[in-house]
Amino acid sequence: MRTNRLLLTVFVSLLLFPSLIFSAGTKETAQSSKKDEVIELSVYHFLDQTDKTTAPNFAFLVGEFEKKNPNIKLNFEYGYGESFHDKLQTLAVSGQLPDILLLYPGKRTSQVSDAGLVKDLRPWIKGHESEFADMAMQGQGKNGEIWELPEDISITSIMYTNNRLLKELGLTLPKGLDELIAQGPAIRAKGLIPLSIANKDAWPMQSCLAGMLVERTGGMQWFDKAIAGKGAGFADPQFVAAMDIIKQLSDKQMFSPGTNQLAYGQGLDDFVNEKAVYLIDGGWMVNNMIGELTDEQKTYMSLESFPDVPNQKGKSLSASATAGQGFGMNAKLNEAQSEAAWKWIWFYSGPEGSTIRQRFGRLPAYKLAEPADADPMIKKLIAFAGKVPMGYVMDAVLGAEPIGAFNINLQRMMFGTMTAKQVAQDLETMVNKIDRGNK
Amino acid sequence: MTFKQQKMASYLILIIPGLLLFASVIVFPIFYSFSLSFTTWSGYGKSLFVGFENYRNILTDPVFLHALRNNMLIVAISVFGQIPLGFLLAYMLHRKMVKGGEFYQTMIFLPITISPVVVALLWNQIFSSSGMITALIRRFSGNSQYVMKIFEDKSLAIVPILFVLLWMHTGTYMIIYLANLQKITPSVLEAAQIDGATEAQMLGRIILPSMIGTIATTAIFAIAGSLKAFDLIFAMTGGGPAHFTEVIALYMYTNTFKYYKYGFGSAASILIVALSVGLILILQGTSKRIERKYE
Repeated sequence: MRTNRLLLTVFVSLLLFPSLIFSAGTKETAQSSKKDEVIELSVYHFLDQTDKTTAPNFAFLVGEFEKKNPNIKLNFEYGYGESFHDKLQTLAVSGQLPDILLLYPGKRTSQVSDAGLVKDLRPWIKGHESEFADMAMQGQGKNGEIWELPEDISITSIMYTNNRLLKELGLTLPKGLDELIAQGPAIRAKGLIPLSIANKDAWPMQSCLAGMLVERTGGMQWFDKAIAGKGAGFADPQFVAAMDIIKQLSDKQMFSPGTNQLAYGQGLDDFVNEKAVYLIDGGWMVNNMIGELTDEQKTYMSLESFPDVPNQKGKSLSASATAGQGFGMNAKLNEAQSEAAWKWIWFYSGPEGSTIRQRFGRLPAYKLAEPADADPMIKKLIAFAGKVPMGYVMDAVLGAEPIGAFNINLQRMMFGTMTAKQVAQDLETMVNKIDRGNK
Repeated sequence: MTFKQQKMASYLILIIPGLLLFASVIVFPIFYSFSLSFTTWSGYGKSLFVGFENYRNILTDPVFLHALRNNMLIVAISVFGQIPLGFLLAYMLHRKMVKGGEFYQTMIFLPITISPVVVALLWNQIFSSSGMITALIRRFSGNSQYVMKIFEDKSLAIVPILFVLLWMHTGTYMIIYLANLQKITPSVLEAAQIDGATEAQMLGRIILPSMIGTIATTAIFAIAGSLKAFDLIFAMTGGGPAHFTEVIALYMYTNTFKYYKYGFGSAASILIVALSVGLILILQGTSKRIERKYE
């Protein structure tokens, strides 16, 4: 019995001994060389790792940061599409939010920021506000908090135009909606697509077209009132008129054939392969176009605004835009971790990272001079952003559930199972109940 | 300690770890989900008890009813498509009715070894409006605007998915049946043949009766699998366009993770469990009646 006890004691001691040594060693190192201590931070980022343009570009940025900050080690984890948001939600609910995470300025990730799980970045941004575009410095929280430092200004509704095809068809850039629709038969007769847009995921029609049309038919003043539900609503004729335009474009076969079956990306494919005269998409597509278009193509591809619509109350040539996503930091970080996290956030969205991203075809929220050696498509994007008035992107100002239902209702309207009025009424009912909280 | 007590203690020691594990990963989530289904919990903060409101809203939601209809079609194609076809193929291979049986066996089983996401991408390349079939029709008809309308039809949009499910899962059932057919003693069939039994008589009087248990088990798998069908449909259509290919699991996913309605999503998941259990009980009753008939 005594021998057994002795053996057990020796066994347990042997088991505990290495961990005692290990923990003692770690503590000593941390105390003795705090200055050289490497701070490790986990980062959750929205990135398609198979994308041959954005993935290497991002890797380059990370490499540059690591060269300058050898004491900060960033451990990245990536998500893309809806799975990014699913995982973010799961991490947040389970209390395992990473140290640094990509957030959106609008409603898309407000469930995380509104729950107080991330830090307000205003103390760090203080003094740098004027260095960013105004749109990027608008408050994101109820009390004006800034949860993420926007990397870009996201213009979501650009009508990319193939001027070579246009010329070949004997057409010119349309000034009004009727003129655009009138071009349809001539374009289709040549086997081409008038407006390339891939709406299988249901959000492109809303994000890249509907928001811009609503600004045109209602104007920004009306749009603000409708969002708040004060003196205006989404069932108003202004909104119905915007829906009617989408229905009209669909009925007149202006969109890509089978647009609601086409996976996002197909729209770009058709445009760069010159199967489409116009492409309706966001400014982020310039990033891909830099690599996809040949130098010759870049000379005749232009960035244009959607033409004027009948009874237009908004601004001519307007586009929808929002401050883009950016990195924020976990509310639980201590002082040293916060400083390290801010270094990455500032590097990424501040002057250094923005300069690099601009070269890659992005439109940074940080104000930069136009680079002389920039790709022609970037120059066109910068010029476009400088000349067009900006309206709202609907999914940045309305909640996830009303927008989710609205996206699907737009598809239903195109299939003829819902009218423009019904789409408008349904959105108003949902916004009133969910966003405005009027049960 | 008496022998009886020692026996009881050893039973408990052996059972408790497994029971705890089972309770923590199966029983607890089900009960937790059940309790959540009566609330408006959004993932954060306090939740409000709303009684049966979530269930009422789900059962009156046209999107859910359409998803339920699609799930029932998947159950139908599984039970009345995959299982009979799987059995037929297994029977043909077992009775060596075709030459090169091993080749066919491998080919038919192959789809199940491929990830559902890859299968979805593969069939999308064939079916979508930028896919192979559409491209061929456009080329030969000269109509550059041609689109396969089946995908834009509320009633029929699910049909291509049913076809892919049939293609994908028939091989699983075929292998199960083939393994069980091999268990039937060859001498029984030989004796029947000597007695002058026809192929149909052997199938109806010997083979099918001895396979009823296996068929019932595979049908349970088919029903349970069909009601929680998610991965292939999520990757192929995402339930779209316009919810035409929606299924209950996708409906639950959308409401839980996109709209942050955890209570509502839990109610939908409880309905899936209830439906599965209900259908499986009906099936078990039916298979017992058939078994009794052959006893």
